[in-house]
Amino acid sequence: MDEKKLIEKAKEGNKAALAQLVQKYSDRIYNLALRILRNHEDAEDILQETFLTVIEKLHTFDGRSSFFTWIYRIATNASLMKLRKKKVVFQQLNDNPDFQDSVESRVFIDWSQDPSITIYDQEVKKKIDEAINKLPDIYRSVFILRDIEGLSIKETSDIMSITEENVKIRLRRARQFLRDYLSDYFEERIGQENA
Amino acid sequence: MLERHKQVIKQICDLIGGDLDDSSCRDVLEHLNNCPTCKVYYDTIKKTVFLCKENDCPEELSDEAEERLMRVLNLEEIYKKTKSG
Repeated sequence: MDEKKLIEKAKEGNKAALAQLVQKYSDRIYNLALRILRNHEDAEDILQETFLTVIEKLHTFDGRSSFFTWIYRIATNASLMKLRKKKVVFQQLNDNPDFQDSVESRVFIDWSQDPSITIYDQEVKKKIDEAINKLPDIYRSVFILRDIEGLSIKETSDIMSITEENVKIRLRRARQFLRDYLSDYFEERIGQENA
Repeated sequence: MLERHKQVIKQICDLIGGDLDDSSCRDVLEHLNNCPTCKVYYDTIKKTVFLCKENDCPEELSDEAEERLMRVLNLEEIYKKTKSG
């Protein structure tokens, strides 16, 4: 049965159709929440919360956006809300395109061609995890949707309910933050190897 | 840093995601060919995204977690029927 029919049937209260929809999206929603929250228990909470919201609000889904975008928006918002509750303090956000990026203060050293920098190196893996963990939430969610999940700028903007321009700004800051964090480590590592 | 570098650095992100129009794309690529500073920035940003992507391992939801989900959603019975074939 195609997804449109499944949704119609689920709206009519057909539990088999609803179960099929849940099974179709549960892995993706769980992984999305896990990537944002970096914690298995929290990701499972979000998975349950997302589908409870889907059941509660399914009658309002009018098909203007895709079902995937709709459900991803619910899961992303729930994940961000959970992060905010845990951290208590909201992070400062500046989407102003004229906001001064810190890039100009750095001297660039090229570590991209170093063959020893691979994810098969446990220390490199650890640093990548560390960098993503330290990425401010609002940038992390955009980075995950666009670069890790491979969604388009338009899809990311629809899910996050922000403009495409703001997606690009947050994405640029996310990538720059990660690059700078990893550069600190890789540059030091290359320095030690060459000493 | 020169204005042109700043502008290119902003466009590099769009270039990596394939979100740059053809004409801007050509301009940025031409600048990258002639500017070692921006080229290093481009290569290291690209490698950063690549490493993060490679490091990401999607997980399959465990049977136990799926069962808990179906219980919470009151779909347990239908789920068990589907599972048992």
